[in-house]
Amino acid sequence: MRLFGFAIVLFIAAPLVIVVPMSFSTASSLQFPPPGYGWQYYVSYFNDPGWLRPTWNSIFIASAVTVLTMLLVTPAAFALVRHRFRGKGAANVMMMMPMAVPHIVMAVGYYSVFGQMGIVHTKIGVILAHTCLSVPIAFLVLSANLKGFDRTLERAARSLGATPAQTFWHVTLPILRPGLVISALFAFIQSFDETVVAIFISGRNAETLPRKMFDSIRQEADPVIAVISTLLFVAVALGLIAPILWRAAAKSLRRGPAPAGRA
Amino acid sequence: MASLSKLAERSNLWPWLLLLPLAGYMAIFFVIPLADVAIMSVTEPKPSLANYEKVLTGALYQKVFLNTFLTAALVTVCCLLVGFPLAYLMSVSTPRVAMLILLLVTMSFWTSFLVRTYAWMVLLGNNGPAIWAMGMLGIENPPRLLFTRFSSTLAMVHMLAPYMIMNIYSVMKKIDPALVRSAESLGARGGSLLRHVYLPLTAPGIANGSVLVFVICLGFYVTPVLLGSPREQMIAGLIGHQIEEFLNFGLGSAMAMILLAVTLAILAVYHRRFGLDKLWG
Repeated sequence: MRLFGFAIVLFIAAPLVIVVPMSFSTASSLQFPPPGYGWQYYVSYFNDPGWLRPTWNSIFIASAVTVLTMLLVTPAAFALVRHRFRGKGAANVMMMMPMAVPHIVMAVGYYSVFGQMGIVHTKIGVILAHTCLSVPIAFLVLSANLKGFDRTLERAARSLGATPAQTFWHVTLPILRPGLVISALFAFIQSFDETVVAIFISGRNAETLPRKMFDSIRQEADPVIAVISTLLFVAVALGLIAPILWRAAAKSLRRGPAPAGRA
Repeated sequence: MASLSKLAERSNLWPWLLLLPLAGYMAIFFVIPLADVAIMSVTEPKPSLANYEKVLTGALYQKVFLNTFLTAALVTVCCLLVGFPLAYLMSVSTPRVAMLILLLVTMSFWTSFLVRTYAWMVLLGNNGPAIWAMGMLGIENPPRLLFTRFSSTLAMVHMLAPYMIMNIYSVMKKIDPALVRSAESLGARGGSLLRHVYLPLTAPGIANGSVLVFVICLGFYVTPVLLGSPREQMIAGLIGHQIEEFLNFGLGSAMAMILLAVTLAILAVYHRRFGLDKLWG
């Protein structure tokens, strides 16, 4: 049983780890173990506009998607969590729908409709499409946070003479900030990683990083992909491990001086 | 402004005002593209049901649909075979080990499909470790691994297993150890403990994970296209092919509508039994 468990862990870990040595390879084709190690593909990534431009496009598009998604989702989450009205159930289901529809189906629709609107192969088109696909995950995270919100804090602010606007700015928003940040982060990642719709509508002008990677893997498997894969993998690893270390550090700090203070 | 907000409060307009921007957005950028696919499927190149007739009766299309279903079923079963034992091991190991495995699974979950697809190309490639290991074991002419049904299925299992593991683990870690102990004290061992205690108690997680994996797999585009055999396409790949290569929007849309109908039917059944909000929560 233990051996089987070890095999599964290896199965999950191996593909994640293997991209790191590959990125330092000197081989021009997929060869593992690499014949030699060097920085050459890192140098070519950071000097090749063919890779840097899609990287910036992706960052720009995902940032715009995040802003637009949060502007749309935040008021909607308030409406659906805090108010009762007819059609609420339907509105909730509608909000989750883009998650249920396979992306290839949306890709066909965007390709055709955006083509008629003249925004296919533009950044604005990708932003508009990705925002729609980011809505469900951003909404899920934010509404879960909003459901756990203790409304007595708002009532306390109101009873102390704050106007509804002041209460919102000085009480509601600061308490909700962590939820808003995580929700925005999910929207960003959803857009940054989205591949299928981007393949069909981003074209050469608005080429995103996943689209460039897809084309490159399909055509010649440029070793630079290993560099990008390593950078993306390291970003994920840091993103997951940093909060754990941070919490551990905060805990030990809090634990440290406490007994001394009491003594 | 104040009087407007009072009016809104009194007539219960507030929720509608707050929902309006998003509802408008979704109407334009979600409903219209989907409706366009539906319309194209019956109007391109001319108004008729010919596209559906071709897709539902043509041997090639039937083969692709069947292949898609079988692959999705196989991937789901494999994810269960990977996910259930691992979730079990996590629930019985020390918190530190369980945390490390969970961290690894989460890392895999958040790593882009493309990165993982590329990694499998390296692992299974002709100059990769899998072929090398077979050579070491004395296999003279190792079979081609890449661009086969095997490589795309294996990679899809790797990509979707985290969904299964997280779903099963989230219910398994809530199992009261007292239940397990009392079952053991009544003589339940190994197989019967698994069958009578763990399986029924983790059934919701298994159902969640399986539905999610199966549905995602049905519409999977990237990995089958990059790693699979060109002769054994899945439905999403074939839709893309019709649009990109042949600009055949009618046929592509008809296939897309069938894929959508099947996906929504599965999710609707699930929604009526368990509630859709649980699936991703």
